[in-house]
Amino acid sequence: MTLSTPARLGLALLVQLALVGAAVTPQLSARVSGEEYLLRVAPLDPIDPFRGAYVALDYPDLRAADGSRTTGLDDDHRGTIYLPLEREGDVWVLTAATRTRPTTSPYLTCDDRSWLVRCGIESLFLPQDEARALERAVASGEAMARVRIDGRGHAALLGVDVE
Amino acid sequence: MTTLHPPRPASRHQIDWLTGELAHWQSAGWLDSRHADEILHSYRPTSRLSLSRLVLTLGAGFVGVGMIWLVAANLDALPPALRFGVVAAFWVVTTAGAEWLAGRREHTGSIPSPVVGAARSVASLAFGAVVFQAAQSLQVPAYEPKLVGFWALGVLVLGYATRAETPLVIGLGLAAGWYVWQVAWSTPDGLGVVLAFLVSGVVAASVATLHGRWWPDFAAPWREVAALLVLVGLFVAAIPEIGGDDVAWSASLVAGLATAGVLAVAAVTLGAGRAGLEPLVAAVLTAAAAGLVLWDPPNDPASLTASDVSHAVVAVVLYVAVAVLVAVLGVLHDSWRLTAMATVALVLFTTVQSFAVFARIIDGAWLFLLLGVVFLATGYGFDRARRELASTLEGDAS
Repeated sequence: MTLSTPARLGLALLVQLALVGAAVTPQLSARVSGEEYLLRVAPLDPIDPFRGAYVALDYPDLRAADGSRTTGLDDDHRGTIYLPLEREGDVWVLTAATRTRPTTSPYLTCDDRSWLVRCGIESLFLPQDEARALERAVASGEAMARVRIDGRGHAALLGVDVE
Repeated sequence: MTTLHPPRPASRHQIDWLTGELAHWQSAGWLDSRHADEILHSYRPTSRLSLSRLVLTLGAGFVGVGMIWLVAANLDALPPALRFGVVAAFWVVTTAGAEWLAGRREHTGSIPSPVVGAARSVASLAFGAVVFQAAQSLQVPAYEPKLVGFWALGVLVLGYATRAETPLVIGLGLAAGWYVWQVAWSTPDGLGVVLAFLVSGVVAASVATLHGRWWPDFAAPWREVAALLVLVGLFVAAIPEIGGDDVAWSASLVAGLATAGVLAVAAVTLGAGRAGLEPLVAAVLTAAAAGLVLWDPPNDPASLTASDVSHAVVAVVLYVAVAVLVAVLGVLHDSWRLTAMATVALVLFTTVQSFAVFARIIDGAWLFLLLGVVFLATGYGFDRARRELASTLEGDAS
């Protein structure tokens, strides 16, 4: 069966649209089906050539107990890592990182293949002037990231509130 | 005989050839002068890189890149959902518009124009803008290589669905860029990057060979991308101390190797004629490049060892052989781009290697003299190989 040109074009557009969805699946899934949590946050620095200015965020409560910028899981493996969370006052903090998917929520599904553990919530894209202002505000005070996490540990960053 | 159709475009070279042949056909009595004139006037000379093509290519590039930068500007006057809607509407309109233009040209049978290619370029870049806008609106972390991967896949889908070469070429460039970035991101090691280039080269060479049987029009872009990736990969592999001490076999690298292996076997089994050997050669070169990286001579600037010089000599000999091979492929497949690529690669490689390694043994003017002699000798060898191959092919054809 040979499809007509409009049919092939329509099919191509649908496949492309599905690919856009696939590119942002974890964030989309978290926003649609996830619960909202508060995490303490600190700034790092900014600019992605394709998407512009952003504030790179660090999460002090997702670090190892010694304060180093790792999860504290000292094994030779690299890949998917799970960060189970427990409530501590208003915010949520890491209990102990694991390579096995936790049986209870909430937890974050992350990746530690690069030098930084990536959980899909490390960047907040903003217009350039707002990014600079937020970075200053975050550095000078207590900031909270509002994050949605779904049942599979996919997380989406909703925003950052500065107190 | 009356000319019913508007003159068809032909290059200056083709018209010169036709003029000579028409004179020959007249002298042989196959054609009278009136028919010869009518045939000649049914063509009009056109240059390959016309001004309109250049301007359209630049315009398409500016509009497409401008759209992506508009996403990057993160205009706060529009809410994220509306911004996504505007960018998505632009993508649908440009994609459908490009195909409408292509369909109109097909039906009217007019002179080929570069407008359709330019419109398809804009559509391909607009799809990237959609991916990046979606990612920005949903706060997907910065510098995420998979976004470029999805962009590449979408553009390749468009290329195959519309059977158009422009999205195919853009998609191949993006796919190669994504794979190398993905591997470098998860395997920050010289050998990983070298293997990423070469493995992509094997995949591209295999697909080119398979396209030789199915959709031969798509074989040339795949083959040219394969040649470029192999040349770049070998270039990187030959750089001293590029790093192969701590190889991490990331999932993307292993998946790439497995895909390349399967496709190479399929291409060698199903490929027609000599083209079946091309993926095999790319696979052998992948192993050779890995060997060059793992060799790792001391490379102490204070004292150059025999191992340093041997490493450089082997790298130069291998690279020259590969460049000649790419130039030969250019002749066999009638692709000036392959020949030009081989020449540029050879000049760049010889210059970099001369300054990186031989400058420490031979200094100043002597290095330039040696480099000049190397270029002359290589150029002579290149020309001889090309002439002999051309005369062999002519002999085979007659």
